[in-house]
Amino acid sequence: MRKKMWLPVCLALALAFLLVGTAAQAEKTIKVGIVDTYTGPPSTYTNDVRDAFKLATDKINAKGGILGKKIEFVTRDDKFKVDIGLSAAKELIMRENVDILMGTINSGLTLAISDLCEKEKIPFLVTFAKSEKITGEKGNRYVFSMNENTAMAGKAGAAGLAKKPYKKYWIAGDDYEYGHAIADSVWNHLKTLRSDVVLLGQSWWKVGEPDFTPYITAMLSAKPDAVIIATGGAGCVPFLKASVATGFNKSVPFFMHTATEMSTLAPLGLTAPEGVLGTSNYFYYFPDTPENKAFVKEFKDAYGRFPKVGALYGYITANFIAKAYEKAGEINTEKFINALEGMSIGSPIGELTVRAFDHQVMFPMFMGTTKKVEGYDYLIATDIVTIPGKDVMPSIEEIKKARGVK
Amino acid sequence: MDFASNITISALFQQTLVGLSRTTILFIVASGLSLILGVLRIPNVAHGSLYMIGAFIMYSVNLFFGGGQAGFWMAVLLSPLAVALISLAVERGLFQHLYEREHLMLLLFTFSITLVFGDLVKMIWGSDYRCVDLPAAFQGFFTILGFPFPRYNLFLILTGPVVAFGLWFLINKTRIGKIARAAAVDREMVGAIGINVSLVFAAVFVIGCFLAGLGGALVAPTQNIRQGMDHAIIIEAFLIVIMGGLGNIWGALLGALIFGLTDSIGILVWPQFAIVFPYVVVVIVLLFCPKGLLKSTW
Repeated sequence: MRKKMWLPVCLALALAFLLVGTAAQAEKTIKVGIVDTYTGPPSTYTNDVRDAFKLATDKINAKGGILGKKIEFVTRDDKFKVDIGLSAAKELIMRENVDILMGTINSGLTLAISDLCEKEKIPFLVTFAKSEKITGEKGNRYVFSMNENTAMAGKAGAAGLAKKPYKKYWIAGDDYEYGHAIADSVWNHLKTLRSDVVLLGQSWWKVGEPDFTPYITAMLSAKPDAVIIATGGAGCVPFLKASVATGFNKSVPFFMHTATEMSTLAPLGLTAPEGVLGTSNYFYYFPDTPENKAFVKEFKDAYGRFPKVGALYGYITANFIAKAYEKAGEINTEKFINALEGMSIGSPIGELTVRAFDHQVMFPMFMGTTKKVEGYDYLIATDIVTIPGKDVMPSIEEIKKARGVK
Repeated sequence: MDFASNITISALFQQTLVGLSRTTILFIVASGLSLILGVLRIPNVAHGSLYMIGAFIMYSVNLFFGGGQAGFWMAVLLSPLAVALISLAVERGLFQHLYEREHLMLLLFTFSITLVFGDLVKMIWGSDYRCVDLPAAFQGFFTILGFPFPRYNLFLILTGPVVAFGLWFLINKTRIGKIARAAAVDREMVGAIGINVSLVFAAVFVIGCFLAGLGGALVAPTQNIRQGMDHAIIIEAFLIVIMGGLGNIWGALLGALIFGLTDSIGILVWPQFAIVFPYVVVVIVLLFCPKGLLKSTW
């Protein structure tokens, strides 16, 4: 009898120590929870976010942290699934007592966590999900977007295409949220810029479609002047591949957001098609400024590879967190949010500002065309035109309209 | 607006050719699956993983030999063999002890293998996309009736009948094929006349998996090699096998032809909703022939 009593007592004691331990720790540090996809193809993008975030926080911590507190972070793998990611987010809030959440690359999951964070009053800094709903229709006080979105990419793409002489268009893309959102955005903006464009037709394929040859040959038979390709992530590489195999890139010009990103072009080596029009937030070789060079060197020294666009998102997120707490003067969520609204920081691509109204970082878009350049093992973007953030951002009226506020 | 707006005879011909090259890959993978299903009665979900591994090994071997003609042919030869070796280890190490279990157990077991293989691929090759460059002779395209047709796809179309003939020969003209067919009908009787059924099963399993590896190796240059390509192919392969008749190799060929051609022609006819065409055909076939188009061996 007496022996058995020991067990609950010990357990209670252990639990008490644990609680005291975490409470004490929570006072010493600022804790950030990252929910993101670390398994499967999306990890090509998400690893860079995490690694650059670590790089930046290590630097901040080495200087003594923020307000005397160090930033620490924990990661959870959502496996690109909404239910897994949402329960991980809950666990991070309840058990790990995180001050801030960040992630994810899955737009659906991001919207779900954004909802949760509004209820739990935890700031959520989005790093990669590109749905314009995150800071548009479904935006709230606690969610911030640290990357571009489909509305911005669409506006940038339309601005570039409007300058070209093409009239007859075809739209083709991934049959899910991202594909349709970006296609609609490009097309709607293009129509307002140019009244003479016509849409010949559309093709939609399933996400992860492995072989685009039949889609390309079918598009060729419609003879469009240009094609808008709305495929993201894993679809970019095989699409470019099929476009070379069929000569599509030589017969029909096409625009594809993220076509010029390193994660798309590097796997293809020198066989990638030249002359593809694409937009991106970041290249390690552009802009050619001391800030960017310093960042690239720092990242490459730490991880032995060049930073991709995700690295920029992770890096600025850490710096925004540091600066906002510093401005707030204490570890207080509401003050942190007030401080972050409208805040500007320097970054590898120049000054970046969080728009106060919708919490969207105003990223400039770099539009360029793919080209073989000596000294690179793969194609890079050339003739890069910078479209300033304010020109690609949806207007505040548009956001208000999307949210149904008067 | 989109419906049937661009159909010309030459466009139709073009889509048919493209569909046939897709059919080749589908047939190679589905026939291996069907063979294992027919003889061993294993619904091998891990077949897709072996296809993925075949593609990844193709990438590595091609890289090892420095690409070009040598790299390509060595890779096409070696990667199915490597996959066959892996499958031999899996069969001798695990499956041979499980043949008497019920189908659901086997299904769950092969599913667990897909998870293990998926993680292994991630550990070995990482999560970046991989690409295989074709040798110069296969790059570029022919112009047929005014439309471009990739050279490599023509190579695929020619490969299909070779593989089909090889399988036909193996099953109908060789001793092991005859024993395998007999074992598919009545494995106890085959055992009773003194044939080592276990070894025959191992051979059939390895041949089936070799085909998965071959499919993966042949498809590798046309797409990006990545995790997740196993799931996509296994669903299509199962649909083809079910549509054609379980365990029937010619059923797999017929199913692959129907699936590949409805897919590519659907894209021409109604591009906006092309995704559904092959699946609608599967539903129609199964409504009227619930046991598949050709005779099932089950």
